[in-house]
Amino acid sequence: MADTAPGGHGPSAFGPAAEGGAHPGRDLVDVLVAFGRRLRAAGVAVGTGDLRTYCAAVAPLDPGDLGDLYWAGRVSLVSRREDLAVYDRVFRQFFLDEPDDDLGKRMPLAKHARDQLRAAVEVPRADPPGPEQREEQRAELGLVASDLQVLRAKAFADCTDDELAALRKLIAAIRLTPPRRRTRRHVPARRGRAPDPRRTARETLRRHGEPPPPRHRRPRLRPRRLVLVLDVSGSMAGYSRNLLQFAYSTTRALDRVEVFCFGTRLTRVTRELDHRAPDEALARAARTVLDWEGGTRVGDCLDRFVRDWGRRGLSRGAVVVICSDGLDRGDPAVLAHAMERLKRLSHAIIWMNPHRGADPRHVPAALGMLVAAPHIDLLLSGHDLASLLELATALPRLR
Amino acid sequence: MRDRPADVAHLTELLAADGYLADRGLATAVFLALSLDRPLLLEGEVGVGKTEIAKTLATTFGRKLIRLQCYEGIDASQALYEWDYARQMLQIRAMSTRAADALDSGYDEDAAVDALFGPKFLIERPLLAAVRAGDAAVLLIDEVDRADDEFEAFLLELLSDFQLTIPEIGTITASSSPLVILTSNRTRELHDALKRRCLYHWVGYPGAAREVEIVLTREPGVAPALARKVVAAVNRLRELDLAKPPGVAETIDWVRTLGVLRAGELDEHSALDTLGAVVKDRDDLELAQARLSEIVSGG
Repeated sequence: MADTAPGGHGPSAFGPAAEGGAHPGRDLVDVLVAFGRRLRAAGVAVGTGDLRTYCAAVAPLDPGDLGDLYWAGRVSLVSRREDLAVYDRVFRQFFLDEPDDDLGKRMPLAKHARDQLRAAVEVPRADPPGPEQREEQRAELGLVASDLQVLRAKAFADCTDDELAALRKLIAAIRLTPPRRRTRRHVPARRGRAPDPRRTARETLRRHGEPPPPRHRRPRLRPRRLVLVLDVSGSMAGYSRNLLQFAYSTTRALDRVEVFCFGTRLTRVTRELDHRAPDEALARAARTVLDWEGGTRVGDCLDRFVRDWGRRGLSRGAVVVICSDGLDRGDPAVLAHAMERLKRLSHAIIWMNPHRGADPRHVPAALGMLVAAPHIDLLLSGHDLASLLELATALPRLR
Repeated sequence: MRDRPADVAHLTELLAADGYLADRGLATAVFLALSLDRPLLLEGEVGVGKTEIAKTLATTFGRKLIRLQCYEGIDASQALYEWDYARQMLQIRAMSTRAADALDSGYDEDAAVDALFGPKFLIERPLLAAVRAGDAAVLLIDEVDRADDEFEAFLLELLSDFQLTIPEIGTITASSSPLVILTSNRTRELHDALKRRCLYHWVGYPGAAREVEIVLTREPGVAPALARKVVAAVNRLRELDLAKPPGVAETIDWVRTLGVLRAGELDEHSALDTLGAVVKDRDDLELAQARLSEIVSGG
């Protein structure tokens, strides 16, 4: 995987360009800033500070050398590997006047897909409504509250849109507490086996050298990381909206949550969910999850997850929650293998399968489920509110 | 200490003289980090020489290498400084005897207590050492993605101003900035605030020809033909979609292992014996063994 830089010590960037009239009579800073703005327009987060660094970086180099311009910009304007391809493309367009050919071909399709996706995850606004709407909404909520017991056990699939909207508000209120693990850090403790030399020494000083009662410390406990791997394919589309909302509110509540979506392929949506407004977060997630409703390859996607994220340590010591019906179109051996590895790379695996329904003894007969079952610590359904609450209660007990 | 390099080509030469073959991108990144006094964040696959570049830079410019290995739960007392409690306690005991003996001789207790929290009782940890050393040091903050995210926030003060605060002593500012190299294996996304303070470079696998050069630089005794063959085999392994693809470090290890076994040729037989030097995962081993003849063929 060698890096491809346009031109080594290549031709001057300004000779032909200046003659061709692309940047006539402008000085270098203007050109660099214009390039930065182009990059920003292409979706790379380029701050003003980054642009200043870029200008400062070009100064000790040779601005006439295309290679120097390329690398100085790559080092100072890009801070994520995902953005490197965009950078290369914009650089070629801007400095080498290359036509944007492959993009033109892909664009209409991408846009079409995006609209579809947005439609699929469109949720009622969860942020505070205007005063005129509030009255109306209160009435609705009152109605829903009286029906809460009914709603709790009603499968999401059978709910009307209004009921779903109300449920989603309830889901947003669920706070997950993952089990905790010991860290290397210590906190003061009333009693314990490990003495705390720092605090003992301080106390001794405070008492002018008189030895105080011994101080102790114990390892600090932190919640384990939570990794949500959500199936958003056709057979699961009805649940994915709720689960995405669920994942979203969980991300807001805890800072150690990673969210992945999969269908035919796997996408990480953690960063998309970082954004504050829920609608925007979901719209962004939709843009990333391009394989919405395109069939399921559970095994391949989990295998990808293990290879790309699990082995780098993302799931180590974490609780992994997989939500899928286990209807795998791929090779069951791949799924079995991926689950086996995932089991070794994580603390516990919870599988949410809506087809399991309310009957606790029923194990879904999908081949994928049978193959995955030996590696699952806890199998839940996630098809209604009650089962999501079940997850919330079961989680802290998974020591 | 050697002066700063005049330009990128000069830096590349200096590094090559010390056995590190940097490509243009990495050399530019390092050159800019040196010229602009900015920390450099290196991300990339395991074993592509992220840590090695910091070591080489320290040798090349005659600077001291200060290394901070990050891990989950790392805190200020391991990264920054710690008070020497044992010595403080001894000093306190000594003070109390002296105070009893010398009640009449004007013994200055305040000064003695102040001294307890003076530089004498401070144990230097890597970050403090780097701030004190200034540009006489290369600070390597290795695998920063393993530390908790609070630790990143804590690094910000250091990386933007090269200063740190010890409540009992005050703020210590570096007289000149050390060269700071951060490495990350991308087990998690680093904070944008941290990235914004750094120059960023993604280190990929080198091209085959360059990898051969790297092997020959590192292991000068190896026949070029063997090096080429090993590199070709490693590149084929990387194409195999292994759980842990071999890095450059593994290529060098493999060549070295073949050397120890006095195998002058990479064939199916010698590859089978030495595969453990490059492939370090049981499932990967099975996959590689099944395709062994394909892997070692050609070169």
